[in-house]
Amino acid sequence: MTAAEVARPPRPSLVSRTLEAYGQEIVVFAAIAVLFVVVGSVNPRFLSDSNLISIFSGNAYIAVAAIGMSLVIITGHIDVSVGSLIGALATIAGTLAVSGYPVWVAWVVPVLVGMAVNAMVGAVIAYVKIPSIVVTLGMLSILKGGLISLTGGAWITDMPPAFFIAQQRWFGIPSPIWFMVALTAVVALWMRHSPTARMFYAVGGNAEAARATGISPERTTVIAFTLHGLFAGIAALLFATQLQVIQSTVPPNLELTVITAAVIGGVSILGGTGTVVGSTLAAILFACIGSALVFLNVSAYWLKAVIGLLILATVLADMARRRRYRRI
Amino acid sequence: MKVLRHETVLAILLAIALAILAAQSDRFFTVDNLLNQGRLMAEVGLVALVMTFVIVSAGIDLSVGSIFGLVAILLGVFWQNVGMPLPLAIVAAIVVGVVAGLANGWVITRFKVPPLVATLATLALYRGLAEGISQARSVRGYPEWFFVLGQGEVLGVPTQLWVFAVFAVVASVILGLSPFGRATYAIGSNAVAARFSGIRVDRTILAIYAASGLMSAIAAVIFVSRVSTTRSDMGTGLELDVITAVVLGGTSIFGGRGTVIGTVLGVMLIQALKNGLALSGVKGDGTIVVIGFVLIASIVFSNLFRRNSDG
Amino acid sequence: MQRTVEAASPGGTPSGGGDGAPLLELSGMTKSFSGVTVLEDVSFDVRAGEVHALLGENGAGKSTLIKIAAGVHRPDRGSIRIGGREVSFASPRDARAGGIAVVYQELLLFPELTVAENIFIGHGPRTAAGTLDWRRMRERARELLDDLDSQHLDVDARVGGLSVANRQRVEIAKALSQDARVLIMDEPTASLAEADVQQLIQIVRTLRQRGVGIAYVSHKLPEVFALADRVTVLRDGRLVGTEPIAAMDERKVVSMMVGRSIDQLFPKVPTRLGEVMLEARGVCHAGVVRDVSFQLRAGEILGIAGLVGSGRTELALTLFGLTPATSGEILVGGSPVAVTSPDQARELGIAYVPEDRGLQGLVKPQTIAENIAHTMLERLRRGFLVDRARETALARHFIEALGIRARGPGQVVGQLSGGNQQKVVLAKWLAIEPRILIMDEPTRGIDVGAKSEIHALMSKLASEGLAILMISSELPEVLGMSDRVLVMNGGRVVAEFDGSEATQEAVGQAMTLTHQRGAA
Repeated sequence: MTAAEVARPPRPSLVSRTLEAYGQEIVVFAAIAVLFVVVGSVNPRFLSDSNLISIFSGNAYIAVAAIGMSLVIITGHIDVSVGSLIGALATIAGTLAVSGYPVWVAWVVPVLVGMAVNAMVGAVIAYVKIPSIVVTLGMLSILKGGLISLTGGAWITDMPPAFFIAQQRWFGIPSPIWFMVALTAVVALWMRHSPTARMFYAVGGNAEAARATGISPERTTVIAFTLHGLFAGIAALLFATQLQVIQSTVPPNLELTVITAAVIGGVSILGGTGTVVGSTLAAILFACIGSALVFLNVSAYWLKAVIGLLILATVLADMARRRRYRRI
Repeated sequence: MKVLRHETVLAILLAIALAILAAQSDRFFTVDNLLNQGRLMAEVGLVALVMTFVIVSAGIDLSVGSIFGLVAILLGVFWQNVGMPLPLAIVAAIVVGVVAGLANGWVITRFKVPPLVATLATLALYRGLAEGISQARSVRGYPEWFFVLGQGEVLGVPTQLWVFAVFAVVASVILGLSPFGRATYAIGSNAVAARFSGIRVDRTILAIYAASGLMSAIAAVIFVSRVSTTRSDMGTGLELDVITAVVLGGTSIFGGRGTVIGTVLGVMLIQALKNGLALSGVKGDGTIVVIGFVLIASIVFSNLFRRNSDG
Repeated sequence: MQRTVEAASPGGTPSGGGDGAPLLELSGMTKSFSGVTVLEDVSFDVRAGEVHALLGENGAGKSTLIKIAAGVHRPDRGSIRIGGREVSFASPRDARAGGIAVVYQELLLFPELTVAENIFIGHGPRTAAGTLDWRRMRERARELLDDLDSQHLDVDARVGGLSVANRQRVEIAKALSQDARVLIMDEPTASLAEADVQQLIQIVRTLRQRGVGIAYVSHKLPEVFALADRVTVLRDGRLVGTEPIAAMDERKVVSMMVGRSIDQLFPKVPTRLGEVMLEARGVCHAGVVRDVSFQLRAGEILGIAGLVGSGRTELALTLFGLTPATSGEILVGGSPVAVTSPDQARELGIAYVPEDRGLQGLVKPQTIAENIAHTMLERLRRGFLVDRARETALARHFIEALGIRARGPGQVVGQLSGGNQQKVVLAKWLAIEPRILIMDEPTRGIDVGAKSEIHALMSKLASEGLAILMISSELPEVLGMSDRVLVMNGGRVVAEFDGSEATQEAVGQAMTLTHQRGAA
């Protein structure tokens, strides 16, 4: 077992290193590919431009929110309040837009509010030392209850046309897709190459070691949550502007969908590892499954069951893969 | 003797809350109202009792709401569509709940999947099964005797409050005083050391998650009996209400610490707040804002408390 | 002002960092935590190109002193000088900027990150654009590891998959990557096997030659004498003395540490052997335990020596049912048994005191009584409940019988010293009245006084008829305590010695020779 006496072993092949480093991303990507081939061969309309574009653009906000969630989970925390936050920020955006503020104010303010709220949440977690699941559980109640009691559950309508950023097309492609792709790419590169971003991995992997290295786990936690607020704000904008009305409720269990996307994308719930490419791919996969059921003539009521089975299968596959690497 | 510090804080909070609410509205502190509130809190309370075990063992069960919904649907389907006699349908639906809980435990112990991830997956799976099976149909028209459970009274007290009281005492004794409870605390604090002591860790965890399924199922049956109907979205978000109550009750989310008494106090405090605020004119959803603040505040206080006394 | 400070410092030279001025000088360190003084007027210094050993029992104040030097704690009184210049550390970052690096006992690494990134986390090389320069990071990591004779370590490997010895090299490389001139090593060999210890000693010597000043904290006197130039001993938070190694011998060091002289570190009581209690016949487990056969008699202490990974702990886990035997036969008291889980082993009267006390042995936030009850939950059952009175009585009995220094059965185990914690682990297994006791590293990481108490207990238990299987990385312990010694390697038992014929050379040679054969 002690390899001390052995000469330098041959470097593992590129394939096996890539598999180890990006295994989960590859699995999710393969699942999407298989889905395209299978569903596309049964019903070619599934692969039509219009369908694919509607799948991607309609769910881009989930992928964007999952980017922020990934940062938080990699840092070793979790946020179960993001669904309510997105709902609250969407309502703020809509309210500002109908109150006659310039459109850019209606876009920027909710993002700033999201960052401020989550910076505060991060500060409570980091400095008062309360587990993130407890604080965000409390925030879930506060945001959800606060939103409904302030708006009275009323829908917001009659926003100015310029407000609907998610309905714009740039170079023929709906803007949410641009947001999803660009943000994922930028954050993925940043997470790999920025010394600051590597602190998320360090703190999530071993907070005490990070502290001894001179990295402040508290500061890093606040930064991760603030960025998470930024992405929640952008996600809220995409969500708020994709339809003509803003409902005061978000899809139920949105926070769990976002967390699931991050986890299926390979972000370890224990912190310290994962990428945002994975979480975006996972968000796309969910969206594709939903659409595929329709094209396969399966009742949409089975969607959640299929997704549940899929999560279970991915998680078990991931466990098996990790165990194999651990043994070597 | 150890002082139950967090529980003491909670009990004082509860007393203050009751006093303020009673002063605010003369309809609050009436026997009828209190008993009715007991009726409403029984379902969350029952699930929270076992969730205390789950969290003390350093686990979490996010799928309780989905098991709740699945059992509710199956109760209706077994009775109306399959044509089982209702008592048999109840038993069959509860068995499914236990199996669902066992499946959670099996995935967690056999494949070493973190409980948060495992039950996140089954949250979607069980809810999906409920929706797929029900196809958005609801089941109504249950016989009159069935409503005794959810709407009836025994000796002037709502039936489900008796059920809750019995289970609360049993859970409290098991967690606090029995070898099984000791094993639960040991596993939650240090599962490796528990295994090295010859404690049957996997079996204990399986039993806890199966009990979580069982209790979600019983709560679902009571709920169906109370509202006289069955729908597939029943119990959505139940997991967060339950976890809030348990954590508010002083159970450490990291495991190894917590009591059933604390959980019962937590459940009662939440229900008192909901009801009292509603009676004082706070609109329905404003109350959950208060609950959010109370959750965070109570943990902050007991944290400060502990730090001072350890000092 | 600084000039005057320099001039005032004894032996200080204006240039600083020369032969005269110590690289690091702590003087008059005083520190108390919530009213309890843990360090009082302690001075300690490290010069360039020397190894200065810091010794003391647990609780003597060594770790507090280290943490002050590392910038984790701030002293209440006293001054810190680097190269003769007075400084104050507000954080670990300041200490590192001053050229001080610490290799902690619980290696502070990031399991999910690669070797290269672990070395450079927080101070990685940057490109012109300010982003991380991964290529240069990997190259420099390679150079640093090659300098430490660690050519075999892949800079792209995840640290989580490395052995303890290799992780330690990553830690040392990390310290060197920051141009540390003072390296503080906190019990670096606590979890290393003998061969790895020898390599580490070699690495430390190389560093010393390069002019690095090393503060070396250890419980193990042989390596202190092999390495150190000077020795400082602390006791109860006070400085007992600083001496050149030439002026010291083991006996003198021990008496300075414990405040009394210990004639015999390893008491050896002659035992009358009884019948065979445990027998293994060709026991195997999945390639890590291969065809192991031996007999263990009542009243006997059978020592198992071997390197980490030689299969000794793996054998214990198999005998205890944690990793059940894949073939072969285990006999307890003469009759064949199947052991597939720890609770079965326990019912057969097999007890296992594991190697990692904190992780495997104890539930630290719980009380002494609760911890002892963990092996006894079924036996303490009265009706459906745990019999509290018997539980407390049991704990009281063992606190007295084993001399556990604690306030009472209700004290939380995490507050006890290492030696007393180890006694609690022993107590919880003696509570089941075992016939066979397996002890894995029975005295790892505990101070000299507690160590000899544990050894005395083991002797006493053996004389009362208990059959003891002892696994240890410390050869003197194996040789001093055992009636017979088995040497394991590559999962096999490769040699057996009688207590009388087992010498350090013979056992050590058997381990090394067979190891090379096994590796070839």
